Amino acid sequence: MRPALLLFVALGGSLLAQTPSEKNGKAVFDKWCAPCHGAVAPQRTMFGGSALPGTAALAVKYQGKVPAVLEQRTDLKPAYIKTVVRHGLYGMPITRKTEVSDAELDDVVAYLTTNRKK
Amino acid sequence: MVLPPNISEADFNAAVNEFRAAVGPSWVFTSDEDVALYRDSYSIYWGEPEERVASAAVAPAKVEEVQQVVRTANKYHIPLYPISTGRNLTYGGSAPTMRGSVVVDLKRMNRILEVDEKRAFALVEPGVSYFDLYHYIRERSLKLMLDVPDPGWGSPVGNSLDHGAGYLTAHFRDHFGSHCGMEVVTPEGDLVRTGMGALPNSETWQEFRYGAGPYIDGIFTQSNFGIVTKMGFWLMPMPESYLTGTITVPRYQDFEPLIEEVSYFEDLSLIGMPQYGSPIGGGFFGPPSPDLAALMQNGWPSMGALENYVAAQKRPAWSVELNFYGPEETVRANWQAAKRRFAKAIPGAAFQDGELLAPPIPKEKETTQGDKPRLGIPALEVFTITSRNPMTNSDPADGHADFFAYVPRKASAVWAAARVMYEAYREMGMPPMHGPFSTPINYYSRCFIMATLVPTYRNAAKNARSRELFAKVMDRCAEHGFGCYRTSPAFQDRLMSKYSFNNNALLRFHQKLKDSIDPNGIISPGRYGIWPAKMRGNRA
Repeated sequence: MRPALLLFVALGGSLLAQTPSEKNGKAVFDKWCAPCHGAVAPQRTMFGGSALPGTAALAVKYQGKVPAVLEQRTDLKPAYIKTVVRHGLYGMPITRKTEVSDAELDDVVAYLTTNRKK
Repeated sequence: MVLPPNISEADFNAAVNEFRAAVGPSWVFTSDEDVALYRDSYSIYWGEPEERVASAAVAPAKVEEVQQVVRTANKYHIPLYPISTGRNLTYGGSAPTMRGSVVVDLKRMNRILEVDEKRAFALVEPGVSYFDLYHYIRERSLKLMLDVPDPGWGSPVGNSLDHGAGYLTAHFRDHFGSHCGMEVVTPEGDLVRTGMGALPNSETWQEFRYGAGPYIDGIFTQSNFGIVTKMGFWLMPMPESYLTGTITVPRYQDFEPLIEEVSYFEDLSLIGMPQYGSPIGGGFFGPPSPDLAALMQNGWPSMGALENYVAAQKRPAWSVELNFYGPEETVRANWQAAKRRFAKAIPGAAFQDGELLAPPIPKEKETTQGDKPRLGIPALEVFTITSRNPMTNSDPADGHADFFAYVPRKASAVWAAARVMYEAYREMGMPPMHGPFSTPINYYSRCFIMATLVPTYRNAAKNARSRELFAKVMDRCAEHGFGCYRTSPAFQDRLMSKYSFNNNALLRFHQKLKDSIDPNGIISPGRYGIWPAKMRGNRA
């Protein structure tokens, strides 16, 4: 199978079916979440290792029971996403409304729960 | 609901209503749920009465709105606490120094006012993050490199005002040192532009920082003398090439000449921040190898024992990675010069050629690019140091309080500071983060940093222990003249009490300024030990 087709299948075709809310949610995710929770790690970081902090932490936490990459999760609940974003969790800090508004957070929720709905 | 100290609920509510009129009702936050978003995520007093929490937050979008907020605060004597992007994690985050202050959240002031490619400067508002400025530059294909700190979500304004630093050549990585010109709302609501910004029709506000008369920009750093609403920054022209090379040296005492040679290149501005390491000592943080643990069993080893240990390991004692920026011809020549000089100064020095890159890194390769800040690419990858990992999995911390001791740029001082920190941990019965192979960080080119990251928790008992450790490290380091440069509000009074020459003359001077510039004491009371007269009491 060609790589592009593989990617399409892996994403369940969801890119084509994105609502405006999901599309904006991805943009907000890419800006605010992906630097820690992205799928692709750097070759190395300044202080050793080659990992993104959020993705690496979830890999240790879940030991493969669920994907470490948030965009691959199918079990995320809207309330949980909002709670973690607004309250922080372990090293992940609180995110204020001047940074990610409630409407933008709703869009992130729509984006991250797309896989669960489909 | 928390109120500012000695402010009636009626006055507080009247002030809040005026804030709403100034910035719009949706940009004043008073509900418990919204105000809680201004807590310091890494607070070392989380959930305790001493936690510095806000009473409200107000988020102006324009300078005029900031001025109006300040005038209202003066009218009702409401303490304000301005933040830029409010990240500043480990140094207080977005929480105020004094409990009950109203946070002035400047995140909405997010305009990039000017980036001049040919004259290599930018003028930005406080809410602009390094990510924002980076993307602005890349989207326009401007041939400029931005010096970024480890976490890229902070702002050039906030980071430089708190003395943050980055990775390029010395000229740029001192972020306050590379600023040029600022605009400040004074505590009484006036508007000041510094340097050439004070001269109407001048086009050199971002090119000549001093203007005429006293240079006052420094008093707005780590202080409470105004609210900075604009700052200019000098940017690095995009270098044609980026070249790395690593040098290793065999013996323990080779560290001294290694530092001396690196400093030669550093002080000529031929390299970015050198990355010291120890192939024997292991990673930057983390437990020592079993062999090293055995060596340390009876305390700090003698120099002879360390040399014998190094010889037995059959690995180099120290390493340093150098980074060169510039045209390909010159970066290659400088690396050749480095090889020649280090080989002459240190018998047995070995060299490994690194990568030669041609910045900017193409967009499609950015994600996988290592060491992003060294190439001016903002990232958050530094948080891998403290995020959950196999070692901490059963008990990850919720944050950390960083203690950066500034020590002289010489090997003996590195070892002395490492030992001071090592012994402080041992006295606490905690596994030391430091040992004889600890290496310095060189954010500021003329001085070394020995860093300790004390874990913080959302747990009072654990935090009590962390506070005790942090205070002990601060006290012990100060006794040896190793000064910390930046800390969270929880330790700012303690920190400033260490800078005590001539009966605390420096702090007394700051207080005189405070009383003159901010007679009602409304801006950030207590920040870096500067309390308004009415709150000073027995504090200093």
